[in-house]
Amino acid sequence: MLVLSRQRDETIMIGDDIELTVVDIRGDKVRLGIKAPPHIAVHRKEVYDAIKRENEHAARLDGLPDGIRLRKAL
Amino acid sequence: MDVNTTRFGVVDVDDTRLITFPAGLLGFTAYKTYALLQPDANGAFLWLQSVESPELAFVVTDPTLWVQGYEVPIRREQMQEIGLESLDDAQIFVIVNRHGLSLTVNVQGPLVVNAAGRRGMQVVLAEKRWTTRHEIVQVETPVQAASA
Repeated sequence: MLVLSRQRDETIMIGDDIELTVVDIRGDKVRLGIKAPPHIAVHRKEVYDAIKRENEHAARLDGLPDGIRLRKAL
Repeated sequence: MDVNTTRFGVVDVDDTRLITFPAGLLGFTAYKTYALLQPDANGAFLWLQSVESPELAFVVTDPTLWVQGYEVPIRREQMQEIGLESLDDAQIFVIVNRHGLSLTVNVQGPLVVNAAGRRGMQVVLAEKRWTTRHEIVQVETPVQAASA
Protein backbone atom coordinates (compact mmCIF):
# COMPACT_ATOMS: atom_id res chain seq x y z
CA MET A 1 0.00 0.00 0.00
CA LEU A 2 1.25 3.44 -0.90
CA VAL A 3 1.34 5.66 2.19
CA LEU A 4 1.56 9.44 1.81
CA SER A 5 1.65 12.15 4.47
CA ARG A 6 -0.72 15.05 3.92
CA GLN A 7 -1.63 18.10 5.94
CA ARG A 8 -4.98 19.82 6.21
CA ASP A 9 -6.19 21.19 2.83
CA GLU A 10 -3.66 19.15 0.92
CA THR A 11 -4.84 16.88 -1.86
CA ILE A 12 -3.91 13.61 -3.50
CA MET A 13 -4.69 12.92 -7.15
CA ILE A 14 -5.75 9.41 -8.12
CA GLY A 15 -5.46 9.17 -11.87
CA ASP A 16 -6.45 12.29 -13.77
CA ASP A 17 -9.85 12.94 -12.30
CA ILE A 18 -10.12 11.77 -8.70
CA GLU A 19 -9.12 14.20 -5.95
CA LEU A 20 -8.87 13.31 -2.29
CA THR A 21 -8.50 16.28 0.06
CA VAL A 22 -7.88 16.30 3.80
CA VAL A 23 -10.56 18.73 4.92
CA ASP A 24 -10.16 18.51 8.67
CA ILE A 25 -8.26 16.60 11.33
CA ARG A 26 -9.55 16.36 14.88
CA GLY A 27 -8.06 13.88 17.26
CA ASP A 28 -8.29 10.47 15.61
CA LYS A 29 -10.89 11.63 13.10
CA VAL A 30 -9.99 12.75 9.59
CA ARG A 31 -12.54 14.36 7.29
CA LEU A 32 -11.90 13.72 3.62
CA GLY A 33 -13.30 15.49 0.62
CA ILE A 34 -13.64 13.39 -2.51
CA LYS A 35 -14.02 14.80 -5.97
CA ALA A 36 -14.66 12.13 -8.58
CA PRO A 37 -16.52 11.73 -11.87
CA PRO A 38 -20.17 10.74 -11.38
CA HIS A 39 -19.67 7.19 -12.64
CA ILE A 40 -17.20 6.48 -9.82
CA ALA A 41 -19.05 5.07 -6.81
CA VAL A 42 -17.71 6.27 -3.47
CA HIS A 43 -18.77 4.40 -0.33
CA ARG A 44 -17.61 3.91 3.21
CA LYS A 45 -15.93 0.52 3.06
CA GLU A 46 -17.81 -0.88 6.05
CA VAL A 47 -21.16 -0.25 4.30
CA TYR A 48 -19.94 -1.90 1.13
CA ASP A 49 -18.57 -4.85 3.12
CA ALA A 50 -21.79 -5.22 5.14
CA ILE A 51 -23.88 -5.48 1.95
CA LYS A 52 -21.43 -7.93 0.46
CA ARG A 53 -21.54 -10.10 3.60
CA GLU A 54 -25.33 -9.93 3.67
CA ASN A 55 -25.48 -11.02 0.01
CA GLU A 56 -23.20 -13.95 0.76
CA HIS A 57 -25.35 -14.98 3.71
CA ALA A 58 -28.58 -14.57 1.72
CA ALA A 59 -27.23 -16.78 -1.05
CA ARG A 60 -27.16 -19.67 1.44
CA LEU A 61 -30.91 -19.45 2.08
CA ASP A 62 -32.49 -22.65 0.81
CA GLY A 63 -36.07 -21.63 1.22
CA LEU A 64 -38.48 -19.71 3.38
CA PRO A 65 -39.56 -21.37 6.63
CA ASP A 66 -43.09 -22.72 6.78
CA GLY A 67 -45.59 -20.96 8.93
CA ILE A 68 -43.99 -17.57 8.91
CA ARG A 69 -45.94 -15.18 11.08
CA LEU A 70 -46.38 -11.79 9.55
CA ARG A 71 -45.16 -9.09 11.87
CA LYS A 72 -46.52 -6.40 9.65
CA ALA A 73 -49.61 -7.04 7.61
CA LEU A 74 -49.22 -7.07 3.88
CA MET B 1 -33.91 -21.10 -22.44
CA ASP B 2 -33.54 -23.87 -19.87
CA VAL B 3 -32.13 -22.60 -16.59
CA ASN B 4 -30.52 -25.19 -14.34
CA THR B 5 -31.19 -24.63 -10.65
CA THR B 6 -30.33 -26.69 -7.60
CA ARG B 7 -33.55 -25.67 -5.83
CA PHE B 8 -36.16 -25.96 -8.59
CA GLY B 9 -34.62 -28.30 -11.15
CA VAL B 10 -34.63 -27.15 -14.77
CA VAL B 11 -36.81 -24.09 -15.31
CA ASP B 12 -37.81 -22.84 -18.75
CA VAL B 13 -37.44 -19.06 -18.86
CA ASP B 14 -38.24 -16.93 -21.87
CA ASP B 15 -35.05 -15.17 -22.99
CA THR B 16 -36.84 -11.84 -22.93
CA ARG B 17 -37.56 -12.29 -19.22
CA LEU B 18 -33.93 -12.55 -18.18
CA ILE B 19 -32.44 -9.68 -16.20
CA THR B 20 -28.86 -8.57 -16.69
CA PHE B 21 -26.87 -7.01 -13.86
CA PRO B 22 -23.87 -5.55 -15.74
CA ALA B 23 -21.90 -5.12 -12.50
CA GLY B 24 -23.28 -8.22 -10.82
CA LEU B 25 -24.23 -8.14 -7.14
CA LEU B 26 -21.74 -7.21 -4.42
CA GLY B 27 -19.69 -10.30 -3.66
CA PHE B 28 -21.01 -12.00 -6.80
CA THR B 29 -19.69 -9.72 -9.51
CA ALA B 30 -18.92 -12.61 -11.86
CA TYR B 31 -22.61 -13.50 -12.25
CA LYS B 32 -24.51 -11.11 -14.49
CA THR B 33 -27.67 -12.84 -15.69
CA TYR B 34 -30.65 -13.77 -13.55
CA ALA B 35 -34.19 -15.02 -13.94
CA LEU B 36 -36.97 -13.92 -11.61
CA LEU B 37 -38.93 -16.97 -10.47
CA GLN B 38 -42.15 -17.23 -8.53
CA PRO B 39 -42.09 -20.87 -7.53
CA ASP B 40 -44.86 -20.99 -4.94
CA ALA B 41 -48.16 -19.42 -4.10
CA ASN B 42 -46.66 -16.99 -1.64
CA GLY B 43 -46.60 -14.08 -4.05
CA ALA B 44 -44.72 -11.70 -1.79
CA PHE B 45 -41.46 -13.57 -2.29
CA LEU B 46 -39.66 -14.24 -5.54
CA TRP B 47 -36.38 -15.93 -6.34
CA LEU B 48 -33.67 -14.16 -8.26
CA GLN B 49 -31.98 -17.16 -9.81
CA SER B 50 -28.60 -16.97 -11.47
CA VAL B 51 -28.60 -18.37 -15.00
CA GLU B 52 -24.86 -18.97 -14.84
CA SER B 53 -24.67 -20.75 -11.49
CA PRO B 54 -27.42 -23.26 -10.59
CA GLU B 55 -26.84 -22.95 -6.85
CA LEU B 56 -26.81 -19.15 -6.77
CA ALA B 57 -30.22 -17.68 -5.97
CA PHE B 58 -31.62 -14.99 -3.71
CA VAL B 59 -35.07 -14.57 -2.23
CA VAL B 60 -36.28 -11.07 -3.07
CA THR B 61 -39.37 -9.07 -2.29
CA ASP B 62 -40.97 -5.71 -2.99
CA PRO B 63 -39.88 -3.47 -0.09
CA THR B 64 -42.97 -1.29 -0.26
CA LEU B 65 -44.95 -4.26 1.10
CA TRP B 66 -42.87 -4.20 4.28
CA VAL B 67 -41.16 -0.88 4.82
CA GLN B 68 -43.05 2.36 5.17
CA GLY B 69 -41.57 5.44 3.58
CA TYR B 70 -38.86 3.52 1.79
CA GLU B 71 -37.32 5.36 -1.12
CA VAL B 72 -34.26 4.65 -3.19
CA PRO B 73 -32.55 7.77 -4.49
CA ILE B 74 -31.07 7.07 -7.88
CA ARG B 75 -28.59 9.27 -9.68
CA ARG B 76 -28.68 10.06 -13.36
CA GLU B 77 -25.47 8.09 -13.94
CA GLN B 78 -27.01 5.06 -12.28
CA MET B 79 -30.08 5.36 -14.48
CA GLN B 80 -27.81 5.42 -17.51
CA GLU B 81 -25.95 2.37 -16.28
CA ILE B 82 -29.10 0.27 -16.49
CA GLY B 83 -30.61 2.14 -19.43
CA LEU B 84 -33.41 3.56 -17.31
CA GLU B 85 -35.14 6.37 -19.17
CA SER B 86 -38.18 6.80 -16.97
CA LEU B 87 -38.57 6.21 -13.26
CA ASP B 88 -41.89 4.54 -14.10
CA ASP B 89 -39.87 1.61 -15.43
CA ALA B 90 -37.89 1.23 -12.22
CA GLN B 91 -38.72 -1.71 -10.03
CA ILE B 92 -37.14 -2.07 -6.61
CA PHE B 93 -36.41 -5.38 -4.91
CA VAL B 94 -34.67 -6.13 -1.65
CA ILE B 95 -32.88 -9.34 -0.80
CA VAL B 96 -34.40 -11.45 1.95
CA ASN B 97 -32.28 -13.11 4.59
CA ARG B 98 -32.83 -15.23 7.66
CA HIS B 99 -31.13 -14.57 10.97
CA GLY B 100 -32.25 -16.90 13.74
CA LEU B 101 -35.96 -16.33 14.16
CA SER B 102 -36.06 -13.24 11.99
CA LEU B 103 -36.62 -12.80 8.31
CA THR B 104 -34.85 -9.63 7.29
CA VAL B 105 -34.49 -7.56 4.15
CA ASN B 106 -31.42 -5.66 3.04
CA VAL B 107 -32.77 -2.14 2.60
CA GLN B 108 -29.29 -0.65 2.49
CA GLY B 109 -28.41 -2.52 -0.70
CA PRO B 110 -31.59 -2.63 -2.78
CA LEU B 111 -31.78 -3.89 -6.34
CA VAL B 112 -33.01 -1.43 -8.92
CA VAL B 113 -34.29 -3.08 -12.08
CA ASN B 114 -35.20 -1.38 -15.31
CA ALA B 115 -38.28 -3.46 -16.08
CA ALA B 116 -38.38 -2.22 -19.67
CA GLY B 117 -34.75 -2.91 -20.54
CA ARG B 118 -34.36 -5.88 -18.17
CA ARG B 119 -31.21 -4.48 -16.64
CA GLY B 120 -30.49 -4.05 -12.97
CA MET B 121 -27.98 -2.98 -10.37
CA GLN B 122 -27.43 -3.20 -6.64
CA VAL B 123 -27.41 0.27 -5.16
CA VAL B 124 -25.59 1.19 -1.95
CA LEU B 125 -27.56 3.63 0.19
CA ALA B 126 -25.58 5.97 2.44
CA GLU B 127 -28.49 6.91 4.68
CA LYS B 128 -27.96 5.53 8.16
CA ARG B 129 -31.59 4.60 8.87
CA TRP B 130 -31.55 1.84 6.25
CA THR B 131 -29.75 -1.26 7.41
CA THR B 132 -28.74 -4.54 5.82
CA ARG B 133 -30.98 -6.42 8.28
CA HIS B 134 -34.39 -4.80 8.51
CA GLU B 135 -36.68 -7.33 10.19
CA ILE B 136 -39.98 -8.02 8.41
CA VAL B 137 -41.18 -11.32 9.84
CA GLN B 138 -40.68 -13.42 12.94
CA VAL B 139 -40.45 -17.15 12.35
CA GLU B 140 -42.53 -19.12 14.84
CA THR B 141 -40.40 -22.21 15.23
CA PRO B 142 -36.67 -22.25 15.75
CA VAL B 143 -34.92 -22.44 12.43
CA GLN B 144 -32.86 -25.53 11.80
CA ALA B 145 -29.25 -24.92 10.98
CA ALA B 146 -28.73 -24.71 7.24
CA SER B 147 -27.32 -27.93 5.89
CA ALA B 148 -25.20 -26.16 3.31
